[in-house]
Amino acid sequence: GAQHPPLDPRIHRTFPKDTPKGNNLKSKKASSFHEFARSTNDAWDINDEDDEDLLAPIHPSSLPSTLHSVHQVPPLPLQQPSDTTREPDTGPADRVVVKSSSEALLNTNSVRSTLQKQQSLPVRPIIPLVARISDQNSSGAPIMTVRDKSRLDKFKYLLSCPNTDLEELRKHSWSGIPREVRPITWRLLSGYLPANMERRDLVLKRKRDEYFGFIEQYYHSRTDETYKDTYRQIHIDIPRTNPLIPLFHLPIPLFDILERSFRILFIWAIRHPASGYVQGINDLVTPFFVVFLSEFVVEDVENFDVASLPLDTQRNIEADSFWCMTKLLDGIQDNYTFAQPGIQNNVKALEELVSRIDEDIHNYFKRYEVEYLQFAFRWMNNLLMRELPLRCTIRLWDTYQAEQEGFSHFHLYVCAAFLIEWRKEILSMVDFQGLLMLLQNLPTIHWGNEEVGLLLAEAYRLKYMFADAPNHYRR
Amino acid sequence: MAKQYDVLFRLLLLGDSGVGKTCLLCRFTDNEFHPSHISTIGVDFKMKTLEIDGIKVRIQIWDTAGQERYQTITKQYYRRAQGIFLVYDITSERSFQHIMKWASDVDEYAPDNIQRILIGNKSDEEEKRQVATGQGNKLAKDYGMDFFETSASTNYNITESFTRLAEQVLAANKKDLDLLRASVTDELNLAALEEEEGITDGAAASQKGCWC
Repeated sequence: GAQHPPLDPRIHRTFPKDTPKGNNLKSKKASSFHEFARSTNDAWDINDEDDEDLLAPIHPSSLPSTLHSVHQVPPLPLQQPSDTTREPDTGPADRVVVKSSSEALLNTNSVRSTLQKQQSLPVRPIIPLVARISDQNSSGAPIMTVRDKSRLDKFKYLLSCPNTDLEELRKHSWSGIPREVRPITWRLLSGYLPANMERRDLVLKRKRDEYFGFIEQYYHSRTDETYKDTYRQIHIDIPRTNPLIPLFHLPIPLFDILERSFRILFIWAIRHPASGYVQGINDLVTPFFVVFLSEFVVEDVENFDVASLPLDTQRNIEADSFWCMTKLLDGIQDNYTFAQPGIQNNVKALEELVSRIDEDIHNYFKRYEVEYLQFAFRWMNNLLMRELPLRCTIRLWDTYQAEQEGFSHFHLYVCAAFLIEWRKEILSMVDFQGLLMLLQNLPTIHWGNEEVGLLLAEAYRLKYMFADAPNHYRR
Repeated sequence: MAKQYDVLFRLLLLGDSGVGKTCLLCRFTDNEFHPSHISTIGVDFKMKTLEIDGIKVRIQIWDTAGQERYQTITKQYYRRAQGIFLVYDITSERSFQHIMKWASDVDEYAPDNIQRILIGNKSDEEEKRQVATGQGNKLAKDYGMDFFETSASTNYNITESFTRLAEQVLAANKKDLDLLRASVTDELNLAALEEEEGITDGAAASQKGCWC
């Protein structure tokens, strides 16, 4: 949530206001890249084992009645082997959280613990958004199982056909894409890359050239009066981009994520004047960036030198991120146009859906005067990215891209499932404040594939039951 | 069970994107400061209980996103606020000029007896100052508001400004407070009260509104 943002205490510097090219991180390079790799490697090291177990029987083509009971099973205890339970972002030595006095610290802590006792309010400390690889499975190490291997082979086969069968690819992607093939699969599923193998290189080159054509055409105008507001707003927001923060530890002069992100957003904004740049869009570029970067970062190579990432590669990552983000936004642009009708409609639809699937929660909100807009606005505006760790967003997007209208439509059912997920906690709150604090700070810090898999399964069940039956369960 | 508070009301933080609204709030409620806060999307919520003049005051504070595109959403919150912080950044002339626009939005959408206070934040960044203290003072005077320069970073004038606005809200609702003093067990929900009055558009509502 935005209340206690996942600040990374290692970031002490402020964003240089007039020169997006910060170059003061050089001295931290060795350790900072290591940190970067460590803190983000899970984003591309997703062991799909759990998903497969959970999702295989409920593939979109068949919905077993057992699903509901699966969902009722109490959450599994989070087992984290001691060697991987590191909390990379809470080292006391370099916290940026400034306390004015130790007394204040004590007070805050005691208030918190009191709150916790009284209301079992989930306390959300500093959240590593891109968190631990160990969340992915209980053994603590990514093990390639036979099943993983055969899944990967399926993907490899599909991807190597002269004409990739996109329907098949979607079907397999729904329950999670193996990290090795995620970059190319995302490019294909987003419609950026053609299914025809022979055309791919040509299309990639043309699109990348086209993007850098835009840069030449528009980027110099970023300081013009016309674009002053856009420029300023993106400038303020880039360093405040939620999941991008862990990426700031790359040696920036060598791989200028800040400026590349800025360019992507600026070019998109001026090419889409109906919406322009809206806060939240900055978050949406990050998953693409991270996934496309993952092709070139091998986690096991201890001293991978980002400096060796050729300029061309960096440029390709930037262009591909731009195009894939553009495809995503094409489907949800009315979330960001004047008065944000897409979001308002989705929040209404969520309310309507919840009133039908969980009357208790719905009535509880009414009783305590909680409005859906108060918590679900951000869920829609940022596609749950503020509520989930980055690794979960990436996994979620595997499915969103496999679904028809995943971002614009299926997301609604995911939000409903997400809300119901916290049923017990919601119904244990005793006042408006407690409810809002809970809903704006849901404790998903430990979430990994397993939780996202369950969430998606429940969302699929809801969609199956309600999407084409608007009167079903209507009271 | 001892009651948790005597009076409940809502405050709202308004001002341009990046002036430090969220930082002011975090400093006030949690005594924390994060120099690179993620941007607020829509409206965030926090609360704190203060004791003013022997009265336990629970404040709900709504922290809004500053970008213009969000204003359709954020304006929905004006109507139910009892007090508003208008925040600018002393290192940004632009954010200061926009206070007039924010103030006129408040006039248009907020209840008539809303209490307002002007905040010039980032007072620790003296070397980058673009708005003189005198300018802030003058604007506040023109609008009949109190004025504070604050720094969330150094914790300067934070509690003072929140307390002042809370006092103003209490004073503006003195009549209801006197009722409260007559009663020892009840809570006064100004937030709910305002809504009732808004709906029924009459003083009669105050009889039944809040004593829940």
